[in-house]
Amino acid sequence: MPPRPLTLPLRTLLCCALILMLFPIFWLFMTAVKPPTDWNASPAIWVPAEPTLINFKTLFDPDAIREYGVGGVSRSAGDAVFGSLLASTVSTLISVGAGVFSAIGLSRYGRGSRSAPLVILSGRMFPPAAIAVPFVIIFSLLGLIDTYAGLIAVYIAVTLPFSTWMLKSFVDDLPREIEEAAMLDGMSRLKAHLTVTIPLIRGGLFATTMLVFILNWSEFMFALVLSYSNINTIPVQLAKYVTATAGTLYGVQAALAVLAMLPLVLGGFFIQQHLARGMTFGAVKQ
Amino acid sequence: MTTTTAGAESPPGVPVLEARELSKRYGRKTALDRISFSVPPESFVVILGPAGAGKTTTLRLLAGLEQESGGEMLMDGRSVAGLEPKDRDIAMIFDNLALYPHKSGFQNMAAPLLERRMPREEIRRRVDAVAAKLRIAHVLERLPKTMSGGERQRTALGRALVRSPRAFLLDEPLSSLDAPLRFELRAELKRLQREEGHTFLMATPDFTEALAVADTVLLLRSGKIVQAAPPEDLYDCPADCAAALFVGSPQIAVLHAELREGLIHCAGLALPLPAVLEEAAEHMRGAGADGFLLGIRPENVRVLLSFPSAPETGGQTDIPGARRHAVGQVTDIESLGLRSVITVRCGREQLRMLCSAAQRAQIRIGQDLAFTPADLERLTAFDRRTGMNIGRRTGRRTFSPCFNPQ
Repeated sequence: MPPRPLTLPLRTLLCCALILMLFPIFWLFMTAVKPPTDWNASPAIWVPAEPTLINFKTLFDPDAIREYGVGGVSRSAGDAVFGSLLASTVSTLISVGAGVFSAIGLSRYGRGSRSAPLVILSGRMFPPAAIAVPFVIIFSLLGLIDTYAGLIAVYIAVTLPFSTWMLKSFVDDLPREIEEAAMLDGMSRLKAHLTVTIPLIRGGLFATTMLVFILNWSEFMFALVLSYSNINTIPVQLAKYVTATAGTLYGVQAALAVLAMLPLVLGGFFIQQHLARGMTFGAVKQ
Repeated sequence: MTTTTAGAESPPGVPVLEARELSKRYGRKTALDRISFSVPPESFVVILGPAGAGKTTTLRLLAGLEQESGGEMLMDGRSVAGLEPKDRDIAMIFDNLALYPHKSGFQNMAAPLLERRMPREEIRRRVDAVAAKLRIAHVLERLPKTMSGGERQRTALGRALVRSPRAFLLDEPLSSLDAPLRFELRAELKRLQREEGHTFLMATPDFTEALAVADTVLLLRSGKIVQAAPPEDLYDCPADCAAALFVGSPQIAVLHAELREGLIHCAGLALPLPAVLEEAAEHMRGAGADGFLLGIRPENVRVLLSFPSAPETGGQTDIPGARRHAVGQVTDIESLGLRSVITVRCGREQLRMLCSAAQRAQIRIGQDLAFTPADLERLTAFDRRTGMNIGRRTGRRTFSPCFNPQ
């Protein structure tokens, strides 16, 4: 469909929507460069008169902010960034990797057990809070608590149904005859799936990877209850910038949030062309 | 790969493909119900049937893409049970062609050869030769989405032809094309098969396609083979009433008829019993019934523009009481171009007949029209209850048992 020229009311509506959506991000960026005196000034300071990088510096040098007379968080955000990158990347790769094979299995060989996809999806229907405590108990017994291995295991368990379900819709949209033709051309089933099915659902694979990564990257509750001192993630660290003496360190929180946006923005930028096609959920025949 | 290499000859009489009591069930639904057939070497066998009859299922079972629920499949006399598709030396052309969308015409056609680790020069040579034969040399460097329907079709065919497999399975390969191209490719398929001595098994819902190319037609309905016969027999001697209605356009007229005193009474006609229906008369005497269904093909009915004063007997004295012509009201006229189909209502019965353009000009809807069956030996009779053909089951041409080599 060719893009329709926008009428004036439509433009106005779009602008309003954009302002509504982008304002929090604008506010976040501004707060990240505000000195502590401007954080919760009243009336609100929209754009700081003297932008500063002190908040970013404080992330990795917790005492830097003491020159403004505030502070109280002793832990550097470095291990949180490392922890988030490690847990999210590894669990996303495993979740999508296993998901693509279960998706192919369900889509191509899952006949007869029509309820299997639903059973898998029902794993997503538990409210995470309901299973958090059992996880803590079981992981304590297994020695997995406060380890990245444990956190990654939980993330895989939580996102695998999602990636399976989402990838299955892409595999379903791919005519099975294409890979069957490959089998008749002389490929084994496995090779046909590896060299025909997977490359042809590449768009869906990128989109799923992106969404699963976002889920893992922003996960808070499991990271909170399963971590003591050895592991840390960005969402957990964000919650730690609440001090008894100086209240919430809004500027430092905002700085960490800006950092947390980086991989998503970069990732989105690099896969945008695949993302756009993948996001149609394969509705368009390739 | 199996020991069966391209072009290997099987012993004479052994079919390339054979299905014995082959069944396929999906859950509680039976897709194929113990069908048996065979495809002799270098023959063109067509599976004809309406949508949902089990045509595609049959091909997919033979290709090894689905697991059979019962029965046996043989290639060159050897069972293929448990063999993966790649080990069956079968090429299949799917109804949606299933070209690799991300690969060029050349890469699509070369794929099966690459998989067989053929040297590059040999691949180039073979693909070029097949492309030239199919007249698609100009699309070799293009992606499928930039090709026309016919070019895609030929590319899919080329991908099968480059490796000369033991048998070709074609699943409604021409269904996506428009009529002129379909006729052209249909003729080309037949020519290729005949000239190169390939073995083809094709599925189609289109009886004209089946009649045009087949050596043997397997008429499939609801997972059962209703009839396996050469095209002429399928047309002249359909196995049952539904088969007669399915094959042939304009459709055959099926009339309620009764046999009394050696005459067939139907639609105001009283026809002498032709030799071809003597078995039918036997059958009815045995069953104690005299009513049956009479099938008359439209081309076997002649329009009589002037009502004949004397009965048409060809100069011979007719059987007493015989009435070889009748009158009905014209309810519909449909032009086919060269000829027209006239639909005539006779009491509760409806007949269709073909007439020439000259005759057509003199016929109006609503008028009375006299007609006569042209050739009584080409009538068919069906049991009123079961619909089975109770007349002679084979045509005047001698029946060739090519689908059953014993």
